[in-house]
Amino acid sequence: MSTKNNNRPSIIHWMLSKIIHKSQLEEFLGDLEEMYEERASNGRAHANLMYLVDACHLMLGFSSIRPFKTQNNTLIMFRSMFKMTWRNALRQKQFTILNVIGLTLGISTCAIIGLYVHDELTYDAFHSNGDRIYRVNQPNIWGDWSSLSSTTGPNVAVALREDAPEFEQVTRLLGLGAQTVTTSLNETHSNAFKETRFYAAEENFFQVFSFDFLVGDPGTVFLEPMNMVVTLETAKRYFGRDIHPEEVLERTVELKDYDGTWKTYTVKGVLADLPTKSHLQFDVLVSLKSQSEMMEAHGWKWIWTAFSTYGLVKEGTNIDHLQEKLQALPPKWAPPTTERIFNQSFEEFTKGYPWKLDLQPLREIYISGSPSVHLFGPTGNPQFVKIFGSIGILVLLLSAINFMNLSTARSANRAKEVGIRKVLGSERKALLYQFVLESVLFVFVSTLLAFTIVHLSLDEFNALADKNISLLPHISNPAFYGIVLVFILLLGIIAGSYPAFYLSAFKPIETLKGKLSTGFNGKGIRNGLVVFQFTISIALIICTFFVQKQLAYTSALDVGFAKNNILQLHNIEQFGFNTEALKTKLESNPAFTKVGKSYGLPPNIWSGDRYKAKGDENVVQLSNVRTEEDYLDLLDLAFIAGRNFDPSRPNDKYKVVINEEAAKTLGWGNRSTFEVDSPVGKILKLASGDEDEFEVIGVVKDFNFTSVKRKISPLVIIHHHNDKVWDYGGGLSFYSMRLNPEAINNSQDLQFLLENLEEELAELDASIPFEYSFLDQEFENTFRSEQRMGTVLNLFAFMAVVIACLGLFGLAAFTAEQRTKELGIRKVLGATVSEIVWVFSSEFTKLILISILLASPLTYYLVDKWLEGFAYRTSIDLWVFGAAAFTALTIAVVTIGYQSVSAANKNPVLSLKDE
Amino acid sequence: MKKFQLGEFEEVVMLTVGILYENAYGVSIKKEIETRLSRKVSVGALQSALKRLEDKGYLRSHDSDATPERAGRPKRFFKITALGKEAMQHSKETRNQLWDSIPDVALDVKFIIA
Repeated sequence: MSTKNNNRPSIIHWMLSKIIHKSQLEEFLGDLEEMYEERASNGRAHANLMYLVDACHLMLGFSSIRPFKTQNNTLIMFRSMFKMTWRNALRQKQFTILNVIGLTLGISTCAIIGLYVHDELTYDAFHSNGDRIYRVNQPNIWGDWSSLSSTTGPNVAVALREDAPEFEQVTRLLGLGAQTVTTSLNETHSNAFKETRFYAAEENFFQVFSFDFLVGDPGTVFLEPMNMVVTLETAKRYFGRDIHPEEVLERTVELKDYDGTWKTYTVKGVLADLPTKSHLQFDVLVSLKSQSEMMEAHGWKWIWTAFSTYGLVKEGTNIDHLQEKLQALPPKWAPPTTERIFNQSFEEFTKGYPWKLDLQPLREIYISGSPSVHLFGPTGNPQFVKIFGSIGILVLLLSAINFMNLSTARSANRAKEVGIRKVLGSERKALLYQFVLESVLFVFVSTLLAFTIVHLSLDEFNALADKNISLLPHISNPAFYGIVLVFILLLGIIAGSYPAFYLSAFKPIETLKGKLSTGFNGKGIRNGLVVFQFTISIALIICTFFVQKQLAYTSALDVGFAKNNILQLHNIEQFGFNTEALKTKLESNPAFTKVGKSYGLPPNIWSGDRYKAKGDENVVQLSNVRTEEDYLDLLDLAFIAGRNFDPSRPNDKYKVVINEEAAKTLGWGNRSTFEVDSPVGKILKLASGDEDEFEVIGVVKDFNFTSVKRKISPLVIIHHHNDKVWDYGGGLSFYSMRLNPEAINNSQDLQFLLENLEEELAELDASIPFEYSFLDQEFENTFRSEQRMGTVLNLFAFMAVVIACLGLFGLAAFTAEQRTKELGIRKVLGATVSEIVWVFSSEFTKLILISILLASPLTYYLVDKWLEGFAYRTSIDLWVFGAAAFTALTIAVVTIGYQSVSAANKNPVLSLKDE
Repeated sequence: MKKFQLGEFEEVVMLTVGILYENAYGVSIKKEIETRLSRKVSVGALQSALKRLEDKGYLRSHDSDATPERAGRPKRFFKITALGKEAMQHSKETRNQLWDSIPDVALDVKFIIA
């Protein structure tokens, strides 16, 4: 026979050894072991379960901790309270189950939301100097000056170092865009990695931020040019899964420069994988000194906004004073930039807006929502935190109300108990304790269940919300238990206080005479609570309706061009500027009907410049994108006036196409005035004072080139051979291909096509990573976070409805019991079953109708506010309210249907028999 | 005052300990009761009963040597004490007396219904 003990849960062993006295422990364990071995032949699971059951029995019978074996009166009282609670819970199983389910659902929903909110609010908590780190933000100088941008020019840091001694350290991080890295030293540079989270950092970067070094010296890694620090995960990608960090040190990788040559970098440090809760996310950092040529040429600029500037202030610095003082820096340091580049004075450039420098505490960067995007990592959404936070509290409130409702509803059953207790000399205080203790115990049990549920469902939630939340770090934190305990007591007391006061106020004489059911029995308050519950549930239903409606609306929105069936090839810039050969190759593929090159892709066209109309000194900010004429054809853009570029006219390359909005912005009228005064033929100039003039040859209908969340901005389309302007988007170029639906009609064809393409491109240059995307998917990605929120909201709204229904069900059951006699008499007097069902359900239907009336204006207001954030908003239709009301009513009627039908079908003889 | 206190379950346990004689320990008692009386016995209930009976002085126990089939844990064997025997005797006699005092007609079910 085996003497192994590995299948028995060791935690039970441990608990037994703690609870049971030594003199008996060994023997009991022996008994359990023997029975386990015997049962195991019938299946391990059964044996394990029975082991647990038996162990619990033993623990109950033999615990050496005996709080109730005492002569202390208070303790004896508590023991009797426990007993009473237990007996009452057993006697009214239906109510007990409804109560526990309702509370458990409420608490688990609230706990999950709590974990989510906590997770969102505690980003960047791991830096040891975190409370002294600030990021320097400035206005968005490329567009809306009233909004903040997280990126600044390189010279800001220089100015801070010079003029603000309050900073102990100032450090910059430069985004380098996408980089191609390879570790193989063969000729073709195949096996290349495309790195998008690749930044250049200054030598003091790790003195400001505390990232965890596995090997390497944080103080010196970035002192030299061509040094590199990678995360462990990146090191594994480069050098193999089994590599040790020590082995990576001093190894070299090659990086493709913009001109196609390869530069060698040396790995000087390996970081542990970054915490997910960091607003800085990177795979590779190189020393900013590697870019010294560029820094020397452009380091004085205030408009090269590719940097984030962080400062570590000295201890005890008054931030408000410092911030005030910083406002003097831009007027002092920025004028060379505006004068040399734009030929404008500082005041002309800022158009009267203050060029303020804003200090943002590190801990707020992720979640503050302003600036709305970060170049170096993720952004949280404060709106979601607010919405989910309030839903969490509401759902919890709903379940607490459930509890109150059910507890007072069953008061009739307990009135006699209260009466007897009072007659026997119980004080009101003791009764209060009794009822509050009951609810605390209910909450306690439900909380235990809820945490089990949370633990089991957290993976699902993480997938849904794209989060990485775990209970484990909390469980090892003593403060967590404190919070849970306070929570249990608080919720227990809140949920228990009303029933406790209500029940303990009964007058013994009346209750014992059985008078209770005729007098006031808290029905008004109970109905009020039901109305409240349903108002919230219906409001949530309506909100989810509108969220879904808005999502459907935005995804179906006409973006102004045919966005389906467009395949986009990335990394074309690495093939050099002239890619005609590649284009011919792509065009010869029968799977494509049209091929076009562009230096930016909707919905991610963010580049822009400052322009003015000829003869007008007014400077305006216009977005721009450089494309081939074929690309405009491919998108199927509609020309309202003029024409597309024409390859047969060589001069067209210095001409431009604009969109409707640009015509409006430049003061050239709108669609209706084009007939009389067409923008075609008008001249556009760069605001920087160049003499070059660009003639407008066409105006296209507005189309979405950023996100559907935004209004369409003015846009200038530059010909891709135009060598008089220096706007190349992010320096990246793309080929877009419209798929031929006849050649590609299933996913297999597509797969085949992609594999083919990859091979063809590898033949041209194996070092260029093959990367593609689909235009319609990119558009969908722009509101992925809203979509995610929609799904999560659905879930929570569902929870709220379930909880409200549990309450309604319990209340209906109670009413059915209370009205047994009334319904019996009605039946004897000739009422039909359907009449009784009607009488019975109308009482509740009325409450639901009131809730609908209350919920509708409330949600109208909330939805209207939420939709304000969208440039394109769905209409707030009345039918949605109708549909939600109908849904709620149906759910409610189904919930009480069972009770009302069974009440109506009762034999009146039985219900009237006993008195 | 009652001289001997012996509950129904306690009595069953005492009797079973008697039946098993030299081999009465936790699991064997449980199994014996379960097979003979076809009723479920939980370990907790049985062990509490055994402890109560021992406290009352009706049973005494000694630990055996460790046995390999119980993962090296000892068994605790129970024996009926003289006092225990008296208690059982007492309970049996009381019942017999009661039985004897029931008039025959009382057990004739037909009479009751009629």
